[in-house]
This record gives sequence, C-alpha cells and structure tokens, in this order.
Amino acid sequence: MAPRRLSKLFRTAFAGLVAAATLSAPAVAQDKGIIVFAAASLKNALDEANAAWQRETGRKAAISYAGSNVLAKQIEAGAPADIFVSADLDWMDEVASKGLIDPASRTNLLGNALVLIAPKDEGDVGALKPGVDLAVALKGGRLAMGNVAAVPAGKYGKAALEKLGAWESLKDRIAQAENVRAALLFVSRGEAPLGIVYRTDAASDPGVRIVGTFPEGTHPPIVYPVALTRTAQPDAKAFLDFLRSSKARPVFERQGFSVLDRPVSGS
Amino acid sequence: MSLEVDIHHGQGAFTLNARFRSEGRLTALFGRSGAGKTTLVNAIGGLVRPDRGRIVVQGRVLLDTAKGIDVPVHRRRVGYVFQEGRLFPHLTVRQNLLFGRWFTPRRERAADVDGVVELLGIGHLLGRRPGTLSGGEKQRVAIGRALLADPRILLMDEPLASLDDTRKAEIYPYIERLRDEGRVPIVLVSHSVPEIARLATSVAVLAEGRVAACGPAAEILRHPELFPEPGPAEAGALVETRVLRHEEAFDLTILETGAGPLTVPRLDLPVGASLRVRIRARDVILALERPEGLSALNILSGTVTEVAAGEGPSLDVTLDCGGERLLARITRKSAEHLGVAPGRAVHAIVKSIAFDPQVVTRIPRGE
Amino acid sequence: MSAWLSPEEWSAVTLSLKVATAAMAGSLVPGIAVAMLLARGRFPGRQALDALVHLPLVLPPVVVGYLLLLIFGRRAPVGAFLAEHVGLVFSFRWTGAALACAVMGFPLLVRAVRLSIEAVDRRLEKAGETLGAHPAWVFFLVTLPLILPGILAGMVLSFAKAMGEFGATITFVSNIPGETQTLPTAIYALTQVPGGEAGALRLTLISVALSMAALWASEWLARRVRRRLAS
Repeated sequence: MAPRRLSKLFRTAFAGLVAAATLSAPAVAQDKGIIVFAAASLKNALDEANAAWQRETGRKAAISYAGSNVLAKQIEAGAPADIFVSADLDWMDEVASKGLIDPASRTNLLGNALVLIAPKDEGDVGALKPGVDLAVALKGGRLAMGNVAAVPAGKYGKAALEKLGAWESLKDRIAQAENVRAALLFVSRGEAPLGIVYRTDAASDPGVRIVGTFPEGTHPPIVYPVALTRTAQPDAKAFLDFLRSSKARPVFERQGFSVLDRPVSGS
Repeated sequence: MSLEVDIHHGQGAFTLNARFRSEGRLTALFGRSGAGKTTLVNAIGGLVRPDRGRIVVQGRVLLDTAKGIDVPVHRRRVGYVFQEGRLFPHLTVRQNLLFGRWFTPRRERAADVDGVVELLGIGHLLGRRPGTLSGGEKQRVAIGRALLADPRILLMDEPLASLDDTRKAEIYPYIERLRDEGRVPIVLVSHSVPEIARLATSVAVLAEGRVAACGPAAEILRHPELFPEPGPAEAGALVETRVLRHEEAFDLTILETGAGPLTVPRLDLPVGASLRVRIRARDVILALERPEGLSALNILSGTVTEVAAGEGPSLDVTLDCGGERLLARITRKSAEHLGVAPGRAVHAIVKSIAFDPQVVTRIPRGE
Repeated sequence: MSAWLSPEEWSAVTLSLKVATAAMAGSLVPGIAVAMLLARGRFPGRQALDALVHLPLVLPPVVVGYLLLLIFGRRAPVGAFLAEHVGLVFSFRWTGAALACAVMGFPLLVRAVRLSIEAVDRRLEKAGETLGAHPAWVFFLVTLPLILPGILAGMVLSFAKAMGEFGATITFVSNIPGETQTLPTAIYALTQVPGGEAGALRLTLISVALSMAALWASEWLARRVRRRLAS
C-alpha cells in the first residue's frame, strides 16, 4: 500500500481519536427552531411535551439529550442552545457561573427519585437501608450507573451508596455509563444484574424492574433546574412557559416526575 | 503410447477438434497463432476442461468426459513450462526447482536433482532470485522446475518465444539433451519451422482447430505445403544427409546427400551420423554452366521445377537436385536474363560458410 | 514513565495496547478468509457479504456497539453460547473491548487484504498446481507470501483503528478502568472532569506516538517484503 495512502488513513484515524475525546453528542438542528439541551432522563417526558406544544401552537422544538455534564460543556463551548434543563443543580450552577444563562428565567422544574433496578425477571435485594449488602446480589456481575464524577445520576447514586455504607464494597464493581439511559440499557439487556437510575427511567423501560427505592435522605434532592440561555431566541420563552404550565404537568407526572414548580399564572 | 488426445472444445467462435497420437521423444505442435495450440496443451495439462474428449498420457487416463473422469491439475503429473516462465518471485532458484519435488510421493521421486541442474547449466544460479535472472536463465530454471516434479510428460508452450535468436541458440542444445538423454517425453508448442526442424522427432500440425497432419518429423517436414510460408528470411529447404568424412586439415566435414556432396564447417559428429540440414533460399546462387574458379565448394546440379513470384525484386526458384528439393532466391532481373524457367537445367551454388550451427541439426536418435 | 503518568493513565495505555493487539490478532484469520471469499468466490450472497463487512464503516459506532450488545451480550444468542460452552465472556471485560475494536477495524483489514489478493498473478498459482501442489498448498506457499504486504497494511489499519475506537466500545462494555477503559475512553473521561485536561493531553500525546510507531513499523516491514518479492 502506497505510503501516501496509508498516511492519509492514519491522519483520518488520528482526527477521529481527537474527536472521540470530546464525544460527539447527538446532532443539533441547524435551522431557526428552538434548541433545547436536556438531561437524558427527560427523553420520554420532554418528547411528549414537545408533541403537545406542537399540537397547540404548530411549533416544535429540537431537543438534544445527553448527560448534563456533556451538555454543560457544550454550552460553555458556545453551542447554540436556547434552553437548558439539567439533572442536577451543580451543572446549572457551573453554566450560570460563566454567565451563560438568563438568571431571571431559572427555576426548579422537576423532581425525581433514585431507584435500584434489575432485569425484569431477576434479583431481589431486600430493603435499601444502611448496612445492605448489594455486593452479594451482584453475584460477580457489575452495577451499572452513570459516571460517578460527572453524570448527575451517577453522583446521586454514589452519594446514596456512601450514605448506606455500601460504596466501599461496590466501588470496584461498577460499570460507569456516560448517561443514565446507557446505564438503563445495560440492565435492560441483562448485561448488568443491578443498576441505579431514576424512577422515571425505570418506568419507561419494560425490560427492567425496580427492586428498591433509595430513601430521600441518602442523596441530595434530585432537582431539575431549567433556564433560558443568554443567547436564547425570543420564541424560546414561549416553550419554557409551556413546560411550566398546567398543561405540561400531567405529562411529567405520568412519567413519574414530581413537578416542583408552581404553575405560571394564567394557564 | 505416450500421448493420446481426442478432444472437442468450443471457445467463443473458435472450436478445437483435435485427434492425434504420439510416440516420439519430442512431439512438436505446430500451427499459426490462433490455431488452437495453447488450448490443446492447456487441455492436456488440465488448465482447460474440454467440452468432451479423452486424454491419455503414458497409459494413464487424465480425462474421459464420457466416463466422468477428470483428474485435477495437481494430480496429473504433467510438467508445464510456460511461455512466461512463471517462476515464483518470492523463492530462490533452488526453492523454485525443488517446489514440485516436495509434492511428489517419495517412491516416485526419480529425477536426479544434480543431474538436471547440470543438464541445464543452472548450478551457478541456485542462490539467486528469479527477478535477477536473464530471460534465457529463467526459462532454463522453468524447465528444470517442471522436470524435478517428476512429470510423466513435459509440456512446453512456446517457451522460447520471448527470447531473441542468440538466447534461443543457447537453449536449443539443452532441449536437445533433454530430448535425447532425459526420460520424459516432451510436447513442444511452436510456430517456428526452424525450431521444429531442429528439435522435433514427431510433428502434429494444427490448422483452424483441427489436426491437419501428424507423424514422424522427417515425414511431415517433407511436405512444405503444410507449413504456412515463413517470413522472407526463413524460406529454405530441408535436406537429409549423412556424414561421409572429415577433412581435418581444413576443419571441414563432407556430407552425403541425394543432391550430391555438401561441404560444411567441421561438425563434431562421427562418420555415418545422420543429419538434417537446412539450406536457406537466400544462400543459393544459380548458374547455367558449372562455374570454375569459384570459392564456393558446394555445386549441385539440378532442374528447375517451379518459379514463383517473390518479394519486390526477388523470385523464388524451386529446384530438384537428385530427388532433393532446394529453394533459390534470385532477382527477377537475373531470372529473365538467364531464362530461368521450369525444365531448365541449372547448378545450385552454396557457400560452405552458409551452414552455421543454427541450420544444422542432428537427427534425433530413435526417429 | 510511571512518574509521569498516574496509575489509571498507565493502565489505560497498557490496556489499549493489549486490546488493540488482541483485536488485530483475532481478526487476522477471519479477515484473510473473508477477503479470499470476496476476491475469488462466486456464490450467491457475495454482494450481501460485502455489504455486511462494510457495515461498521458506515454505521455510527454507537449503533455498532448496540448491535454487539444484541448479539454478544450476556443474554444474547451468541454471547450466551460462548460464555457457556467456550468460557468466553465479553460483558464488561477487555475481551468485549477487543471485540468492539476488531469489528470496527474489520472492513479496513478486509479491504487491504482483498486488494492484495486481486493483484496476485493467478498464473503463478496455476503453475504451482501443475507442479503437484493441491490448491490449499498453493494458497499457503504461493498466494500467502505474495499478499503479505497487503496483510501487513491491513494489520496496521486494524491496530490503529483499535487504538482510536470509542463509540462502539463505550456502548458495548462501558468505561471500566483496568478492564475496558482504553486510551480514547480514558481521554474522554478526563475531559469530563474539571482539571483533567492535563492528563487528557498526556494520553493524547501517547496515543499519537503509539500510532506513529505502528505506522512506521508497518512501512518498514512492507518495504522489506516488497524488496524480497521484487529482487
């Protein structure tokens, strides 16, 4: 094979490696429509809300789902998002500290619960209280969860396990995924005998079964803040208001979220 | 019966319908390009499967479509020397030579490696790679490689076609030795009359996909109508001769022919040895009277039997000299001035020096 | 080296080398076999096989990872069979990372070898048969040595692809340090954490150096082989 052809392929491979270090997120729409960056766990709920908004106003938002950490980095890098919904307060704070959101528009939109799941025909662990031995339940397999340093679901999960005193025995037996839906997939496919995801994720996938709910005190409250970005289009506020309205509320509650926000007046 | 072929094969517009038998040590397959020689040889080798037919080599049936017999190439034990040599570039000459030997069952390995190497004069090439060899060396190695696979028959498809005359002249002696001293019958494809005249013990002439004639070389070569007119430089006659005596003092040999004695440069052959000699038309001068004081030693008397138009200024005159047919190429001008016409008595003059080694060939033993 | 890299970074380097080598070695025989089939075979479904082999080139890597989960996962048909009867487990193991890399690099390997096979003078193979060699022997003694440069090129491509593979790996076997956290996924993980940029840069430099070393080695080997064939 000619050296030139080989080095061209090598250059392509190298470019791919560098690009891989910044994980390609799902493509963001290039048109003038509203762009929403939302945590992966919101997929089912937000898609439904989007459809409802389209039925009502004829307009539709383009929604990009990923781990909140990835989305925050993209916004910091200048991605043209109009609305950001994060799965925890840390990442919203991070973006706010860089002056990239409109502080007046920020509210806490939704709440969630953290659950322990297993493939639908397996696993029983008993109650999730301090001293519970999950390692035994793993039977040599791994516990799937979001990346514990970056993904909100992972951070909540680690906090909960630490509070229960189970972290030390488990920390070498985890499989970290880059978002909570990927962790869900591992359990759903039977790859991992146990996983930690949001209650809403567990509800969305018939392939998994909730074997325990982490008591609220074991982790920081799971709060989904929402805000307009500083570069948001005027249109975006309409969508944000819709999400906070009583029309959107049933959509979220149906998926299992708790709606924290007070409805916007007049709807 | 060393070779029996009876096949029918259609290839596009061309049909090969060949039937012949051969016993000789070296059978030449002669024909113009497109006559079907390569297809025929490929069929014997198994590289082409004829539509129907039967091929038997040394009593072993290689192909019989009626009975469903078709021995695969690697089991036919047919040695094949290709026109392009096809030596393995990634192996040394020695490894090339021994390639086939490895696949021959031990009990059937009769070829003498050193003997073959010596026969072909390739001993000094053994460590080299094919890429570094000359054309002639490559072909000799190719022949050696085919031989050392202990074949029951050796096929050569115009193996010397890509070589120039000097190289060919170098290799002919090796093939002659192979023919005379080797134990393997050879089938040689050629479109060159001088080559066949020199090497063949039997000849099969192929024309338009059919075998027009087949038999001992001496027989077939007597019928020039079978052979399409060779190039202008090649036209000539073949004369059977026998060594009468040698003139040591002058390094000459006297040959006995039907047309009279022929004096040629000294040949390294015993008295009484049979020889086939080619006399090129361009080397023959005609005279109406027997000339005196001429340097040429060969003066044969004969009668004109035919005068044919030649190229441009020349004419081809066919003579009968004591039963031997000779060809002379002279100018039209001379022919007219001398009144050369059929029936005229003339003398044919040939210089002794005209008999170079290329045109002199010993008649193979056993013919 | 260990003073310059943290233990996790070092383990990412060694794991990457192990995974890439295993991926390359494991795909060699299937790759040559498939290349032969595609170059020489005349059978129904040859086009389909060609398309199948090229799928990993055109599908998003994440999709390939998902397909691997469906086929080779713990509960999947092939995965379960292999785990039970051969003892080969891909789930969250380096073997899974190697499989992901092997699959992603397979089309590159096959293309390179196939090109080489198509360039072989088949008349040489026929000559080998006339010398008494069974077609299988002809393949090993004549064809294989002649396609060696193509095989080497394909191996390097496979290795380089494996060193850079990310999407399929992380989807199939996630990102477990010491087991499946190869260089690309390690670099990715470091970029997710504040203050990890320095480590990410170190690892990037190492992967560039490794890839260039592999490239140089293959060029040198290929040149030697070509010289041997031409001389």
